[in-house]
Amino acid sequence: MLSAPRSTKRLKLGGVFFVFVAATIWSWLYIKMTFSTLFGGFDDLWNLLQYMFPPRFDQMGQVIDATIETLWMALIGTTASVILSIPLAFGAARNTTPNAATFAVCRAIITLARAVPTLIIAAIFVLAVGIGPLGGILALALHSIGMIGKLYTEAIESATEAPRDAVSSTGASKWQTILATIVPQATPTFIGAALYRLDINVRESAVLGWVGAGGIGFVIQTALRGLDYSRALAAVSVIFVVITLIEISSNRLRASIIGEQSAVITKNQKARKKSTERDHKILLKAVTLRKLNLPWTSERRLRISAVLFYAGLLILALVTIKIPIISSFGYLDEIFKTSADLFPPDFNTARPEIIRGILETIAIGFVATILGLLIALPLALLAARNIVVNRVIYSGTRLFMLAFRGIPELIVAVLFVSAMGLGPVPGTLALTLGTAFFMAKLIADTLEEVAPEPRDAIFATGATRSQEFFAAVLPQAMPNLVSQTLYLLDVNLRSSTVLGIVGGGGIGFLLLSALRVIEYQTVGAILILTFVVVYAIELLGSWVRKLVE
Amino acid sequence: MSKIFSTEADPIVSLTKVSKRFATGTLALDEVDLVVPRGQLLSLIGQSGSGKSTLLRHINGLHKPTGGEVLVMGCNVGDAKSKELRQIRKNIGFVFQQFGLVGRATCLENVLTGALGRLAGPRYGLVSYPKALRREAFEHLERVGLDSQAFQRADTLSGGQMQRVAIARSLMQQPVMLLADEPVASLDPESSAQVLELLLKISIEEKMTVIVTLHQVELAIDWANRIVGLRDGKVVLDRSAIGLTQEDVMDVYRRADRSNDLAKQEAEFPKSVASLSS
Repeated sequence: MLSAPRSTKRLKLGGVFFVFVAATIWSWLYIKMTFSTLFGGFDDLWNLLQYMFPPRFDQMGQVIDATIETLWMALIGTTASVILSIPLAFGAARNTTPNAATFAVCRAIITLARAVPTLIIAAIFVLAVGIGPLGGILALALHSIGMIGKLYTEAIESATEAPRDAVSSTGASKWQTILATIVPQATPTFIGAALYRLDINVRESAVLGWVGAGGIGFVIQTALRGLDYSRALAAVSVIFVVITLIEISSNRLRASIIGEQSAVITKNQKARKKSTERDHKILLKAVTLRKLNLPWTSERRLRISAVLFYAGLLILALVTIKIPIISSFGYLDEIFKTSADLFPPDFNTARPEIIRGILETIAIGFVATILGLLIALPLALLAARNIVVNRVIYSGTRLFMLAFRGIPELIVAVLFVSAMGLGPVPGTLALTLGTAFFMAKLIADTLEEVAPEPRDAIFATGATRSQEFFAAVLPQAMPNLVSQTLYLLDVNLRSSTVLGIVGGGGIGFLLLSALRVIEYQTVGAILILTFVVVYAIELLGSWVRKLVE
Repeated sequence: MSKIFSTEADPIVSLTKVSKRFATGTLALDEVDLVVPRGQLLSLIGQSGSGKSTLLRHINGLHKPTGGEVLVMGCNVGDAKSKELRQIRKNIGFVFQQFGLVGRATCLENVLTGALGRLAGPRYGLVSYPKALRREAFEHLERVGLDSQAFQRADTLSGGQMQRVAIARSLMQQPVMLLADEPVASLDPESSAQVLELLLKISIEEKMTVIVTLHQVELAIDWANRIVGLRDGKVVLDRSAIGLTQEDVMDVYRRADRSNDLAKQEAEFPKSVASLSS
């Protein structure tokens, strides 16, 4: 018995691996991908970029206005989503839900919201409320519930039970107890998740213009349609810079909220020491004077100024964005009417097209995941500071990855489509590039988390660096690598459902056409099938993840 | 309240032939009789699994007896309705081994949560509590010696300090009685002594009944007025702590089934060795 026993678990894993490989090969053939189109595609993109260069920064007023509108849309949409998500999360969390029916309904809403991409919701909402940012904001708000609601539910469920028992034993009512014990524990995650989603929503709102839902997407689309490539590049680079800046600052902010108290107020040791001493004095004074309000420590001042800054931005956004917020509630009626028109779904009228679209969507997702993984792995090795122990190389790679993550994949798709023409191949290449850098970051983080002790042990036996990598690093990182690949597949599949809207292949094109010719019931059928496919992949993913752990 | 506590002589807790058999079939309490007068610091001792925590949980109605009668402040806990039960719990402070503080909230806020039973509606943050209550909370913190930490986050405190904040929170309930379930089990000796001294001080100054489960006999002898020993759900010792020696309580810790256990272990030992070498 010198090989591992054939347990059912191993057989299942082998089966999954075989299916995954088979699906990838089938996908590769289905979208007629070849190595020459693969490398030719990158060539074409390079030529297009050279042609676009240098960007023309005239008419900047329009670009800046559109960029600001994009930001405001993301801010308002995320805020609305947080407001909607909080009650849903309390209903969907096992430890706070009032009853089984509420639990099921809240869970279903959160799952459904996640399954339908923002761009598709926006396309439908634009029909109901007209061209402009309102449709986009509503779509962002609705789709974000999927992620924010899920993260909030998990935050509530992971709150420790001990304080809850203690407070409820004092005779406090259920909601008094929840507010006193669970909410304070969950608040950092609440804020962190909202910031993270804001970051994603800025990217998403940058492309909403394609379906007429406001933001800079419309400017880019118009420039590309007019073959005005230099101006398009100018708009793309502006939004790229803005997105990267927002990502960096939101990461920094999140680290200081979720991390230890007042962690990232200042990096200067001396200044920090001084502020700690001052806080200490303030606290002492408050205690001796028997002050009954929280004293103004630097942490509290920081927190209050963050809240005021956010409130100021939100007010500014609501004032400057040109939508009548109050009367927009009147549009709810329209939205319900349009949504009702999607039923009953009609699977028959466009049956062959629908089947082709769905299969193409799946195929794009698989090929983009594998290609993305091939790019991500070497990058991740360079970016993990415990593998390549050279500061210049790993920080350089990290910066490079961060820079490329800034471009929303749909904008990459637009560029590829412009360079190579319509079809699934440019869409696949765009998804590959769009997700490879994100994937590389995830893998690099995983590699950095690997425990050092087994590595030392292997080195001590006289192993080479590559032997050590395969013997000590890879086995430790494997479960995470698998689940990250599955996660990437999940993300790519969701993205590939909307690629068609910019001409990148998949079901999105058919969806947009059906919307244009007002075949609402076909739209309904497509939405349901998309949901089924996305949800099936998600379930499959969580099943395989359990198998690996 | 005044009706319930007509005279000082009334026992606060009185258990008559209380038995508890869990759904799993374990007999956790076996016909326990116990009468606790006002102002006593009583320590329940016994090995883990002897039923001391179960007994404590019968007093505030977290468990209901399967036999016998539990009278707390004149109310039969066994068949109390949920509203009555809540009223009883409001009057009983409960101190947990794991403190149960909200780490991210300040000490003052943690103490204030003890007043929730007296308030209507949910509260969040210091300012949502009336000023008078905030002042009261401050006084309780002063009493447990942690007023200078009032505005510090609870997770910056040591274990002993956390337990004292938890006691301040119980006092905020204005309880008639304190129950403490292994309050010093996860503390070092010095903090343990501080916590028990605090409980004794409260019981003397407020004439408050305090029932505390402990597994360290020395601590029980040092701090309690009365010691009740449980073994396999039965009361095997019940006397004043004065003059009690370690030897007197050894009987509590002699488990009836110990010899059986050893025999069982020995019987299984060869098997486990065999499974290792295969």
